[in-house]
Amino acid sequence: MAKLKMKKIELIALLTDSKKIIELLQRRGVVEICRNEEELSGTNVTSIISEFEKFRSTAAQALDILGIYAPEKTGIAQMIGSRTEVEKHAFGREAMQIDRIMNIAGEIIRNNRIITDSEAQIAQNNIKSDTLEQWKKLDVPLDFKGTAATSAIIGSLPYMADSDSIEAELPEGCFCEIISASKEQTNIFLLCSKTVFEEAMNALRMMSFIPVSESESKTPSELIKLYSQENSDLQQKIVECENRIIELQTERKQLKFAVDYLQMRKDKYDVLSSLGFTETTFVLNGYIPEKYCESLQKELEAKYTVFIEYTDPSDEDDVPVLLENSRFSSPVESITRMYAMPGKKDVDPTPVMSFFYYLFFGMMLSDAGYGLVMLIGTTIALKRFKLEESMKKTLIMFRNCGISTLIWGALFGSWFGDIVQVIGKEFCGKQIGSIALWFEPMNDPIKLLLYAFGLGILHLFLGVAVSFRMSWDEGRKLDAVLDTLPIYMIVLGAAPLGASILTDVPAILKSIGTPLLLAGVVLLVLTSGRSSKSLFGKFFGGLYALYNTATGYLGDILSYSRLLALGLATGSIASVINLIGTMPQNLVFKAILLVIVFIVGHTVNLAINLLGAYVHTDRLQFVELFSKFYTGGGREFAPLTVNTKYIKFKEEKINE
Amino acid sequence: MNSLGLALAIIGAACASLFAGIGSAKGVGLVGEAAAGVVSVDPNKFSKVLILQLLPGTQGLYGLLTAILMLRKIGILGGDTVDLSTAQGLMFLGAAMPIAIVGLFSGIAQGRAAAAGVGITAKKPEHNGKGIIMAAMVETYAILALLVSILIINNIAV
Repeated sequence: MAKLKMKKIELIALLTDSKKIIELLQRRGVVEICRNEEELSGTNVTSIISEFEKFRSTAAQALDILGIYAPEKTGIAQMIGSRTEVEKHAFGREAMQIDRIMNIAGEIIRNNRIITDSEAQIAQNNIKSDTLEQWKKLDVPLDFKGTAATSAIIGSLPYMADSDSIEAELPEGCFCEIISASKEQTNIFLLCSKTVFEEAMNALRMMSFIPVSESESKTPSELIKLYSQENSDLQQKIVECENRIIELQTERKQLKFAVDYLQMRKDKYDVLSSLGFTETTFVLNGYIPEKYCESLQKELEAKYTVFIEYTDPSDEDDVPVLLENSRFSSPVESITRMYAMPGKKDVDPTPVMSFFYYLFFGMMLSDAGYGLVMLIGTTIALKRFKLEESMKKTLIMFRNCGISTLIWGALFGSWFGDIVQVIGKEFCGKQIGSIALWFEPMNDPIKLLLYAFGLGILHLFLGVAVSFRMSWDEGRKLDAVLDTLPIYMIVLGAAPLGASILTDVPAILKSIGTPLLLAGVVLLVLTSGRSSKSLFGKFFGGLYALYNTATGYLGDILSYSRLLALGLATGSIASVINLIGTMPQNLVFKAILLVIVFIVGHTVNLAINLLGAYVHTDRLQFVELFSKFYTGGGREFAPLTVNTKYIKFKEEKINE
Repeated sequence: MNSLGLALAIIGAACASLFAGIGSAKGVGLVGEAAAGVVSVDPNKFSKVLILQLLPGTQGLYGLLTAILMLRKIGILGGDTVDLSTAQGLMFLGAAMPIAIVGLFSGIAQGRAAAAGVGITAKKPEHNGKGIIMAAMVETYAILALLVSILIINNIAV
């Protein structure tokens, strides 16, 4: 159980078999390959790798575009990330078509580019037409320069003006027409005889006149028409391209396949680049869990000429960690992973915490109705969908937590809060008392608080016991005893005294508690400073340890009061929801409102409290339990494997 | 019947849900602002930051819990209203103070810690859980305050 024992593997084989062997290792997914630092002879595969990467990103881009124009209908199964299963021989068949698929990807991207370009062109045309709109009244082209005897000047003044005031500023023989005018701008058409053209231009410049610039020899309204024609052509083109992309969605499966296929090829060449080579052989170094050693060796030796050697890793080796636990504990592995993988000297904390994880989770949520919902929901999801291993484990964890919640809820008599009592009272006119199998926390919170502290002490003692075991196994037997015994004595001795503040404690317990506590304190002060050399250091080391133990364990134990607080919060909010639902006097209204409020309210309450229970259970494990024995800092086992996004091979993985 | 006692008790219940609620609202709002920034860049992180945003929400629930416990005890909810002396009313008012005041400040502080956790989610999504735990540390003190409030309410003789 717990941390799998790792072996170092050294594999030497013929160079000609290298690609096939790597492919086999990739599919088995049980070997983590180390980069070979002393290169026997360098190989250059970087260009191949970047080629694969380029193709892969092309296919991925095409898939993204498909997603925009022809969104995939997704079921819940896709949403929780299931991959399609593919037979190995089907994979080979599809791999032959990779050129065709890349062409399709290219076509999708090309069509998309046309669409974006056309859209940009349309926007530009729209801006141009908008500007031309104010020149619409002009019936000569904007680049009209005049006739044989006259000159035409077209442009605008950056303010409001009328034709008389403009003509007044200009020499004789000028005729000004206002095309359009606004507060910011006056667009004018000016006709004058060629002789006064220069003079007129000078005068206009004084008035900050800006000539219009347009290269097309068409009238503004003609131009506007032209642009709108061009736009509708472009629109047509966009629709065509979009349709083409939508047609190509039949190839979506192939594209996904290409993305995965190219990723696999790339990974394979990545590994190849890290191998050591001689002229005819290659060397591969890595780590492998001990339990796969034999089966892998058999398989490789049956197919290829290989030399495989397994050795035990030395202390300096950076050995990766792979966890394996019983069916009961393994769903909680993700919680361990979230904190940190176990380091070299650590034990796997998963089996230590799994029981308490489920227990505390259920106690914090503590509503049988909610537990039932979790149990049914997760069971259906597990049955209905083909799930990835990690998702499956998470769901199983929540299923187990749901069972625990159901049990605690039944003990506390809480089914969707007090819905049984509410329905009995409001609709049947019967007063139903408590249906708790044990007791209702709301009526006696102190009792539950004491149980919460009691469970907390057990939880902490478990952590201390693990640390005892670790020291003992390392051969530091005296340390093991002296580090844990005083803590047990102090906590056990102080517990009855502390409990007596809240409730009546039998005198016999108190009379045992006091001397036990004192003995523990004396033992702790006398022994904790043993590593210090001077007498002075020993004494103060002991006092310091006493202070640490007292404040640390007091805080830790009080922290378990969250078991009570979160449980009460769930129950009381559930009761409020039921109360709101039964406010109207009329029986029919009451029933309708209750159904609506019940569904909405309890969904929200379940969601909030599920999150609360999850976070605070994690916290109790990480902060209170792990601090007693666990440091973490290990590296997770990262084997060479088929790292695919969409497809999954249908074949026995010895890894699972 | 001494109505001042009852009024004081009701003010207490109101304070519990008021201040703890304000604390939570501020905290949740603070994290929401940070979370929206992350989601605008990467919408896939929505569910991860949503968990962080909900964390400072519990203080409001504790305030509500305290208020309900008080209202039940004084018979406003589900039962006949009991007679309270002015001293008893003040006791209820006092009982509401721990969760009211600690709820207010811890809600805001937890919001800050969770907003910083949103930063972890943005840069290193795989360490998201650590941000959650750090924010959850703040909540311990709200829980302790809630505990004191509950213990007092439970032990006031009416």
